[in-house]
Amino acid sequence: MKFLRVFFIGGLIAYKALFNWLKPAIYIPTMLGSPLFQIFFFTYLGRFSGVQNDAFFVVGNAVQACAMSSIYGMTMTIANERFFGTLAPLLASPANRLALFLGRALPVIVNGLVVSIFGFCVGLVFLRFHLAVGQIPALAAVLLVTVTSCTCLGMLLGSVGLRARDVFFISNAVYWLMLLLCGVNVPLSALPGWMQGLGNALPLTHGIAAARTIASGGSLSQVGGLVATEFRIGALYGIVAYGLFRLFEIEARRRATLERM
Amino acid sequence: MSAVEVRDLRRTYHTTTGVFKRRPVEVEAVRGISFDIAEGELFGLLGPNGAGKTTTIKMLITLLLPTSGTARVLGLDVVTDARAVRERIGYVFGGDRGLYERLSALDNMRYFAELYGLAPATQKARIGYLLELVGLQGREKERVEGYSRGMRQRLHIARGLLHDPPVIFLDEPTIGLDPVGARELRTTIASLTESGKTVLLTTHYMFEADALCDRIAVISKGRIVAEGTPRDLKATVAHSTIVEIETYGVDGGTVDRMRDIAGVDAVSVEDRDQAQVLLVHSSTGLELTQELLATLQDFRVGRVASREPTLEDAYVALVEEG
Amino acid sequence: MARSRSRRVTRVLISGLVFHFKSLSQSNFFILISLVEPVIFASIAFYMFRAGGRAPTLLYAALGAGLMGIWSSTLFGSGGAIQWQRWQGTLELIVVVPPPLLQVLLPLTMATSAVGLYSIVATLVWGMAFFGMPLQIMHPFFFAISLVVTILGLGLLGLVLASTFVLYRNANALANLLEYPVWLTTGVLVPLSLLPGWTHVIGWALAPTWGIRALRTSALGGNPLWGIAMSVILGCIYIAIGSFCLKHFERLARERGTLALA
Repeated sequence: MKFLRVFFIGGLIAYKALFNWLKPAIYIPTMLGSPLFQIFFFTYLGRFSGVQNDAFFVVGNAVQACAMSSIYGMTMTIANERFFGTLAPLLASPANRLALFLGRALPVIVNGLVVSIFGFCVGLVFLRFHLAVGQIPALAAVLLVTVTSCTCLGMLLGSVGLRARDVFFISNAVYWLMLLLCGVNVPLSALPGWMQGLGNALPLTHGIAAARTIASGGSLSQVGGLVATEFRIGALYGIVAYGLFRLFEIEARRRATLERM
Repeated sequence: MSAVEVRDLRRTYHTTTGVFKRRPVEVEAVRGISFDIAEGELFGLLGPNGAGKTTTIKMLITLLLPTSGTARVLGLDVVTDARAVRERIGYVFGGDRGLYERLSALDNMRYFAELYGLAPATQKARIGYLLELVGLQGREKERVEGYSRGMRQRLHIARGLLHDPPVIFLDEPTIGLDPVGARELRTTIASLTESGKTVLLTTHYMFEADALCDRIAVISKGRIVAEGTPRDLKATVAHSTIVEIETYGVDGGTVDRMRDIAGVDAVSVEDRDQAQVLLVHSSTGLELTQELLATLQDFRVGRVASREPTLEDAYVALVEEG
Repeated sequence: MARSRSRRVTRVLISGLVFHFKSLSQSNFFILISLVEPVIFASIAFYMFRAGGRAPTLLYAALGAGLMGIWSSTLFGSGGAIQWQRWQGTLELIVVVPPPLLQVLLPLTMATSAVGLYSIVATLVWGMAFFGMPLQIMHPFFFAISLVVTILGLGLLGLVLASTFVLYRNANALANLLEYPVWLTTGVLVPLSLLPGWTHVIGWALAPTWGIRALRTSALGGNPLWGIAMSVILGCIYIAIGSFCLKHFERLARERGTLALA
């Protein structure tokens, strides 16, 4: 019971406190406006280069746009604890660490889904992208797994942010690298081998591939392997993230590195 | 001619309140103040937070337009001759902001040297001299972000003096400094008038104004409630006695009743641990202690003592009355 | 007298440019958006063009991505300039100095576009080192002129951003919003002919449209003069708008007392 309260209520409060972009004046331009134009930009660039059709870019960028929440949002929600100086009282509390940590991810995932769904709508309304109504449940399932696994990477960056001085530098770079490496805009086969390797080790890559199959009429069973891989990759990042968080906590007590900026 | 001449200066802020129905609210920050500062004088504007000190200074340095009234610096009107005023004044404020953090002290100084149009030939010498004056020589090439509060504050002063302005405005320059740093800074400030500069200093530290200023104006709720040398101000309370009464749990109504007692000039309350200490200012010769204690019969009363007033008492009395 | 005055103005402008350029170069955020971002976007464009086969030259992509970087650093640097100075506590200090605000702020916005030079250099070097892109500039002289004029044009556009973004409390959010649409409507990578006609009007009014045209024609062939001329003309219009807005801002700030953070 305590675990659940820390998970749900604590997570939501922490999110409201630490995620600076919830105000409509910031949320609309940053979380919705920026992905909107990102989709337009790459779709037109795709039309010009002749690589793929609109649907390729709409699906790729709409799914990747969840990183606005999953990467930036998640990083902020953990790393800001240090900037606001609230980390020490938090770690002094007896609350269950796992609940404390995972609880923050839930609002981020919900927000990431909102951003991605908005991205798909943009494609449906403004670009040459079509989606059969029957495909929506399967697409939603793939999206949920992908957003969750991307959020796990965000958690890892957040944990790193508890120690690294300039974590937003890293999270920005990761956001852009995803555009290159995860098959969002460049088909994976067109990348050199080592970049394909990196892409395959990141969240999003398999999820986007699955989403493209579903969007073009495929069934869930066709993409079962991709979704499972996406899930495993996310879980791995999540475990490493939590491990780092605990490691930093223990290390901070031993070496008094908690408040060092 | 006075270096600074302020006549019936007023400043009103318009803000809005309420989330849904926005109502305009008028806040009178400065309500008609007048004073003069002679050339070479170190003049203190003393008052509690929110009294209107910073608003007054910002009008004098051309950052704020007065709502009404006039202010002149070296005979130049701060509204119509803003640019000429800006060339002749230095402005330094307290706190650790106001510097380009990522660059060195030297870069910060060089940049403002250009903005103030210092002749290129003399810049280097001037900057070196000032950095030495404030004791930053040897550290001038380090980035400001690594500076302590005291070092930042000294850099502010050096920057404010770059163009050798005849009039300098210091807005709470010692705020947030440790005692040693604050004392060093006061020494620097005192040395400014020795080189013939006119200084306006705002502070809410009584002892600081007492130690530094030739003359003080006490400002409270946007009005000047007293003006004179530190000695003059002490004299305004020299005829009174301070009765200190230690009590527990006295309410505001009781304090007001004590204020109404004939012969009582002012009552202030200080909280000390669990106890409160009532400071009752009264005219000398009146033996009020019995009457005061009668008001307090429902409360526990501890130590009672009477003493001679200090400048701090004068300040408290003035702000209290204002 | 007039000569010494103009010399003084020149010194204020140049020293300000150097000062702010140095300051921005020390900032991780500006390194990020003027080096890392353009290089990643150049790579995306390189691979897309290569995979699509309909590829214009690699140099085309490198120049486009470089200009995208110039726009990003101008947008974030200039758009947030006044708020950032206010937050840092230096806004009051630069208003209270004798030179007009225009002379103090212009070098700052100019520095934000000049930091974009890193972008062009980075994408060109990246293209050569990583993709074996040959650096063949057809008219090196015009290319140099185009580069200078492009930086100037964007710096002056930055002045307009600095003086109008003041009205918005969340300048950074607005900057986030405007990064992609300007990349799109100015045709830095995607030819304008692919976009709907109404967007051309927006493109015409924006300096990057003409900057990229000048850079591209002087590097790949064509007549760069039209792009150079339009950059200069737009720059003059931006100065007029910017100085008008700044005067208005300064008067308003002195009336309302909004220069300090509190």
